[in-house]
Amino acid sequence: MSGATAVGAPAPGDAGAQPELRPIEVEDISVRFGAVRALADVSFSVAPGTIHAVIGPNGAGKSTMFNVLSGIYKASSGQVRYGDAMLTSMEPHRIANLGIARAFQNIALSGTQTVTENLLLGRHHLTKAGFLSSGLRLPRATREARRHTERVREIATFLDLGDKLDTPVGVLSYGDQKRVEVARALCIEPQVLLLDEPVAGMNADETQRMAEIVLEIRDALGITIVLVEHDMGMVMGIADRVTVLDFGRRIADGTPVEVQADPEVIRAYLGAGDDSGDDAAADSEPPFPSDEERTS
Amino acid sequence: MSDVVTSSPAAASSPAAPTGAVTADGRGGRTAGTVFKAVVWAALLVVLLALPLYVNEFWLRTGFVVFGAIVGAIGLNLLVGTTGQLSLAHAFFLAVGATTYTYLSGSPGGFTTKVGGLALPPVVGGLLAVLAAGIAGLLFSPLAARLRGIYLGVASLGLVFIGEHVLNTWTSVTGGFNGRSAPGFSFFGFSFSDADKPYLAVLGVPFGQSERLWYLGLALAAVSYVFARNLIRSRPGRAMQTLRDSEVAAAVMGVNVQAYKARAFFVSSMYAGLSGVMFALSVGSIAPESFSLAVSVQFLAMIVLGGLGSVGGAALGAVMVAALPLVFQQYADSLPFVAGVGEGGIVAGEAARFLYGAAVILILLFQPSGLAGLPQRFRRPRRPAGEVTAFTPGEPAQGAAPAQKTEDRPTQSS
Repeated sequence: MSGATAVGAPAPGDAGAQPELRPIEVEDISVRFGAVRALADVSFSVAPGTIHAVIGPNGAGKSTMFNVLSGIYKASSGQVRYGDAMLTSMEPHRIANLGIARAFQNIALSGTQTVTENLLLGRHHLTKAGFLSSGLRLPRATREARRHTERVREIATFLDLGDKLDTPVGVLSYGDQKRVEVARALCIEPQVLLLDEPVAGMNADETQRMAEIVLEIRDALGITIVLVEHDMGMVMGIADRVTVLDFGRRIADGTPVEVQADPEVIRAYLGAGDDSGDDAAADSEPPFPSDEERTS
Repeated sequence: MSDVVTSSPAAASSPAAPTGAVTADGRGGRTAGTVFKAVVWAALLVVLLALPLYVNEFWLRTGFVVFGAIVGAIGLNLLVGTTGQLSLAHAFFLAVGATTYTYLSGSPGGFTTKVGGLALPPVVGGLLAVLAAGIAGLLFSPLAARLRGIYLGVASLGLVFIGEHVLNTWTSVTGGFNGRSAPGFSFFGFSFSDADKPYLAVLGVPFGQSERLWYLGLALAAVSYVFARNLIRSRPGRAMQTLRDSEVAAAVMGVNVQAYKARAFFVSSMYAGLSGVMFALSVGSIAPESFSLAVSVQFLAMIVLGGLGSVGGAALGAVMVAALPLVFQQYADSLPFVAGVGEGGIVAGEAARFLYGAAVILILLFQPSGLAGLPQRFRRPRRPAGEVTAFTPGEPAQGAAPAQKTEDRPTQSS
């Protein structure tokens, strides 16, 4: 467990990064876009230190759920509590400051910036250098940058990105970019990691490796991981608990074994002529952008 | 802290060896590049410092105009190129700087129109003018919370019109339609104007107003350049660039989006304010027509020509757009197609505008990263694909002009 403490140890200088795990309680969350109900009274709870998967067919409301958790969307009703913090009434950057990090499904990195620079953004809330001290290159700003660059290098190495630190993200392969997404979220030193389809569009090997990485993160850092995923094999292999959404409703919640046996879940996935999500959330949620094309 | 990787042997072993090799390679290449760059910069600085000893007043005056434009262009590029907030109000912020300086440091009086003035020392007036422009930008920034892209640009257009109206009507401060003369600059008793200055000569060359202003402009432009360059490569710069590429990602990574937009406006307008003060000094007076929409558009042309998001590019673009009309004017006799003053045909200012107008179109079509991206373009063929180690931050990759990225909301999928 010595290696584990190495990754888990907070970067030198940022006080108070001691993980203080709290449960996430999602209570009766509804999200409406005009007449469309993307989420309807969804409730579930995520126990601290577990891997919790949210699954469902296309248009089920999974990403909407994530956007509520990270503060991008405001819920029409209901609330999300993280310990005693009310996430539903907080701005996204405040949620990040609480140590809730998110990796995006459709990669939202700065393509012109290098891997290091993208990852350093994750250190934003742990660093202080402002416009004046940065523009004048005051010693404290450069010292701070150097210190955090070291930690960024460790995290990049942990995600097999150690040899790509100075490469602009835009020229990296799709799989590498997905790992940069996860690495950037880890750079927040999170207590909760939200992973939005981390293996979407990946081949079998890359998927396998990402599953390992997710387990390693959990074991090494002991943090809570909430996962939205399509890849059933991966979800069932690593999740401690699974919440299943369909048409914005929660249709099942339990261990992977329980969920797999649930008749409602089987119907949602294999259901008779159910072309999933053709009206419920089609307006508000465009289909997959270009994941498939990008990998080919 | 050394042994990072946890339980997975695969992760531990694989990156270790290649890391050393590649980093060493990258560093080697960069050291040579750094030395080369340092030499070029040093040479440029020596030339710029020595120039007043050799060239005539026209070039020195043009130089000061260009230095002022460089400061303004760097400021606009921080806002538009780096942070992705389209603004057409740059001329307004220039006007705030120029007018505030003229009023604070100018003397009351005037021949036909009576104007007020506080006659503060020019340094104080200049600093307050820069601050006033910054505050004007700060006050405008909340609009950026509601409006994006072209809508923000159109909203900022309103400021230019309001500004022109105020300049025309607030006669006691601005001098009204005809404008007013701007006070010369002095720095702790050292005058930068021809009035009441002690004689000074360097190596037998008498240093008059234009020589002195040249050095003032050079210093201000250099400081502005270095500050912006440092800023872009640091924590605030990374936040600003992410704001441009994806507001949602920036917010989720802990960047206070609204506060950062406000700061970007603040800094950008301060640059504009300084540029405005320098403009007032170079012309010796201010008038409403100097701060029209065309000026905003010229600054946009500068940063597009030079390369959005690149500080060096902004400076290059400013040199082109600001110097061309003046040079054409000066050499109208020896240039074909360009007519002198009072003759028929294309006058110098128009000829220059045709030229950089065409240049803007060509750049957008064939070289979206601007003049700043040209070295990259010529370097590229020699490098294997995917190995762009000499990439400098703040300079957009080829074919990826940041202004084109307008998609902010996360694409949904579930």
